[in-house]
Amino acid sequence: MSAGFRDCLRDLEAAGELVRLKKSVDPRHLSALMAQAPQATFFEEIAGYPEWRAAGALLSTRKRLAVAMGCPESSIATRFEEGIRRPIEARLVDQAPCQDVVLTGDDVDLTRLPLPMMHVKDGGPYISATLVVSKDPEYGRNVGSYRMMYRSPRETGIDLVSSSDMRVYYQRALDQGRPLPIAVAVGVHPFELLAASYKAPIAVDEFAIAGGLHGAPVDLVRCKTVDLEVPASAEFVLEGELLPIGWTADEGPFGEFSHITGEVKWNPIFRVRAITRRPDPIFYVLQMPWENDWLAAPVIEAAGLQALRVASVEPVAIRAPLGGCCYWTLVASIKKRPGEGKNALLALLSVAEVKLAIVTDDDIDIYNPDELDWAMTFRVQADQDTLIVSGARGKHIDPSVRAAGLGKGGLPTTAKLGIDATIPEGVPRSHYERLRYFAKDAVRLEDYR
Amino acid sequence: MSPLAASLVVELRTHPRHFGELVEAHMTTPWREFLLAWGELRSADVLGRDDAGRYVIRSEPPAS
Repeated sequence: MSAGFRDCLRDLEAAGELVRLKKSVDPRHLSALMAQAPQATFFEEIAGYPEWRAAGALLSTRKRLAVAMGCPESSIATRFEEGIRRPIEARLVDQAPCQDVVLTGDDVDLTRLPLPMMHVKDGGPYISATLVVSKDPEYGRNVGSYRMMYRSPRETGIDLVSSSDMRVYYQRALDQGRPLPIAVAVGVHPFELLAASYKAPIAVDEFAIAGGLHGAPVDLVRCKTVDLEVPASAEFVLEGELLPIGWTADEGPFGEFSHITGEVKWNPIFRVRAITRRPDPIFYVLQMPWENDWLAAPVIEAAGLQALRVASVEPVAIRAPLGGCCYWTLVASIKKRPGEGKNALLALLSVAEVKLAIVTDDDIDIYNPDELDWAMTFRVQADQDTLIVSGARGKHIDPSVRAAGLGKGGLPTTAKLGIDATIPEGVPRSHYERLRYFAKDAVRLEDYR
Repeated sequence: MSPLAASLVVELRTHPRHFGELVEAHMTTPWREFLLAWGELRSADVLGRDDAGRYVIRSEPPAS
């Protein structure tokens, strides 16, 4: 059996990366308290929700993500790559903790969940840590993560604006005038969330990728009211359907993973038909933006590594920096042969989400911002070492794409920038010999205090 | 409509509000009670948005 959400909490606590709050907390204060905590946060008592506990900010730093993935911080991309190279098919089980309690009919009531208020201008309380499962008659099962805004006891909004496989599934259902059944699992292991973040080919099962990350099959259980499967170890599950209304219902704003307040979007509505859960569920609050950002890092970094190898460029290190929300920016150092600075840029910019790529030689520590600035200052001539690609696919939440005028359901485009900060062809490497202090190893400061 | 839901309608008719502003004005109301009242407004299909994303009470009847 693969590890679950509670195993992740245990790992974080064992690493000293989780704090427990014992006093009763109002759900309206969960996010504010997590924002102040230096560690992941576990809430042992939720005011007004005696059966529930809550946890969040589990992956808000690279260190915590590495703990959850069971690897060093520098290896999150290669660890992720290993998982996607060796997918393990999920396994169907009959019994599941996430179905110990089954609520249908009049018992379905989202207000019985400790829905958190997260940001000042949010359009409502949100369920942010979702694993959304859907199925298409032709393409099969899809797993993604989509935020959900409370609307009423049996309805939420869902952000389905950005391009995704489930958006395709929904459009196909909409074209036929039928709802799209979905199941929403909350409180799953980060490997499931990472697999859901991965832009796998449409026919690839994300649960098999999660299995590859676990090194064991993910146990799935059939839902009670829809023909879908969810991780058996989830804390709770919402079953229902996306109504065939298209992108017509107001949703948002929400504190986006771009670190800024978003705008109202027009989206479908999710109608909840059943809620299943553990008897003592833990509500997972995925704390924006950091936790969402770090979940993207291994996926984007691995995609960058793959793109470089396909371009026959040898990567040395790769980093999706937090300043680019671990999503829009990739920095890579390479073992360069002539021309490969530009080849590497073309490869990195082919990663769908990346709009800024920087490539350096292998003598640059790309984790050191000063080193990176130095390379960009002294190895770059802007008229020769930059690439700009116009009209690539963009994201609404990037204000610079000017998405406001696109209308309901419209998709924006963006320009991409590449900076080749490798030593230019024709400039001898010796011109970059670093200064060194005379007799540096012969004397010690401590001896002269 | 419950008294709380009716009072939210009055508040939104007077001033457009972000959801968080409404929540802040009702922090003494149990969270679940507030969310149930909000659900009543959604079900009544009276909510609209202004350009800043704030909730308003729509003046026109809901589309059928």
